[in-house]
This record gives sequence, C-alpha cells and structure tokens, in this order.
Amino acid sequence: MVLAQGNPLPAEKAFRFSARLLDAQTVEARFYIAEGYYLYRDRVHFAVEPASAGLSVPPLPSGKVKEDQFFGRVETYRGDVVVNLALIGAKPGEQVVIAAESQGCADIGLCYPPTVQRVTLALPEGSVVPKVQGEGARKPWLN
Amino acid sequence: MGHRIRSTILLAVAGALALAGGIWLAVWDQAKPSSDALFALQLPDTAGVKQPLSQWRGKVVVVNFWATWCEPCREEMPEFVRAQTELGPRGVQFVGIAVDQADRVGRFAKELNLNYPALIGGYDAMELSRALGNVLVALPFTVVIDRHGRVVQTHLGPMRPQQLRSIMKDIL
Repeated sequence: MVLAQGNPLPAEKAFRFSARLLDAQTVEARFYIAEGYYLYRDRVHFAVEPASAGLSVPPLPSGKVKEDQFFGRVETYRGDVVVNLALIGAKPGEQVVIAAESQGCADIGLCYPPTVQRVTLALPEGSVVPKVQGEGARKPWLN
Repeated sequence: MGHRIRSTILLAVAGALALAGGIWLAVWDQAKPSSDALFALQLPDTAGVKQPLSQWRGKVVVVNFWATWCEPCREEMPEFVRAQTELGPRGVQFVGIAVDQADRVGRFAKELNLNYPALIGGYDAMELSRALGNVLVALPFTVVIDRHGRVVQTHLGPMRPQQLRSIMKDIL
C-alpha cells in the first residue's frame, strides 16, 4: 500500500489521553497531542461511567481559531490540553471510568474518526488520593 | 559430460527459480486484498436509497473513503470530479463512501457539484477499509480496482493528481 508521507501514528498515540485525581472530586484530564497533529475543540467530549458519578465539565480552553471552508470558524488544539473535571456524585472508594472522545487530524493530510479512550480511576476511601490505576484499552472508534 | 552437468545445473537452477517465483507469486497474491467484500456492500446514498456496489463491477472503480470533517479529503475531491468527467466515458467510476452524516454529505456534494455517488458508510465501511489495508482507519483512503475486480492500488492520505493519472494510465 502507498502511505501518506512519513509514518503516521495511530489515533491513540497521536492524541494520547491520561487522567489523574487531584483530589477526591477533581480529575485532571489531559491530551498529549503529538507534534504535527491537532484536535478539534468542539469534538472533545468527556463522560464518566457509571453516570451516577456525575461528571461536570467546565468550558474547554480556547483553541487556535481557524476558518474552515465548510464548517466556518473552528478551534484547534496542539501540544497539551488540560481540563479539570469535577465528579459531583461519586462515592468514596468508588471506581470510575473517564471516557474521553476526540477527533483530529495530522498535518500530512490525514484525519482520524472520533476515538474514545478510557482511564479507570479508584476514588479514595477517605482523603488520601491514590495513584492512577492505569490507562484503559482504547475502544474502537464509533463507540 | 561437462555439457550434461551444466544442463543439469541449469535445469536445477531454473526449477528453483520457478519454485521461488511460484511461492513469491502466491505470497503476493495473498497480500493483495480482495474486492469481493467491497462489491458485496450495499450503502445508502444521501437520499437514503440503498446502492449495491456490485452495480459498478466490471468498471475501473475508484472507491474513496472520506468525510466532511476531513479537510484533506475535501481538498482532493475536486480532482476526482475532474477525473470522473474525463475518464467516465472510458469506463472509470468513482464512488465516495462518507463516514459521516447524510445531510452534511448532501450539502457538501451539492457545493462541489459532485458528479459521482456519495454513499454513507458507518462502522462496517471503516472496518472494510481496514481489511483493505487501512490499518490506521484514517481518512482519506482510496482503493483502485481494475475491470477484473483486482485491487491494484490502495492509498492512505490525499492522492496527488499525477499519482492518480499514472495509475489510470497503467490500467486503462
């Protein structure tokens, strides 16, 4: 097969997602966007499983404004993007999964369908914040 | 005597080469993805009418996986429109499979004056593109099939007009 120039990364490496607990109710969600790749701001979405853990997502940081011929004004992210999410209904000791959906492209002329990445976090029983439990396997796109 | 030995050696070498060639061909043949699954697909067009891809069997078919949210996809499509106009009379059929919503695809097709079918594909279509060699499941991804149903080229990323012309020159 003829490939686009270079050696393009799979979506989960181009837009690596991680999440960690800052305290019992705050999750720091972060995308590490590889050089030469970008994400669309309006295509970044977060969810929590179980839904009863109640995820509150603040307005996402502003991106770089770009005029798209078809979609009009769009914002894109490069480098790292950090968002602090709040868990407003989670119980102490509960295990939650942060699901982050994203969609982006590579400068070499490739775009990736929406991808969902998941990270499992164990909430502290008390006030001690444990370490990240590990990053969940990437789920197939369109999930 | 010397002549007989030389003949035997030559025969042995020829045999080994033929065997190696046969193995190589078999491997090459296996590595080439089949178009059968593609021609078995039936996908809705922007009006919701199911279109069997088998209707284009026997033509040179260029299947382009794309989406409106994929800027590089949109950028290469005017060239496909030109090629469809130019090569359509010679038995070439472009088919777009959009991993997208029908309304957006319809709107873009109208803006571009798309002169070839825009079908709406979902999970199955992308999985199929993976089976055809699109391991990253990224877009745009283009598959060229000759009149005999053989996949002669798969390409990830935008196709340069020259590339497309050179492939077409080889198979038309």
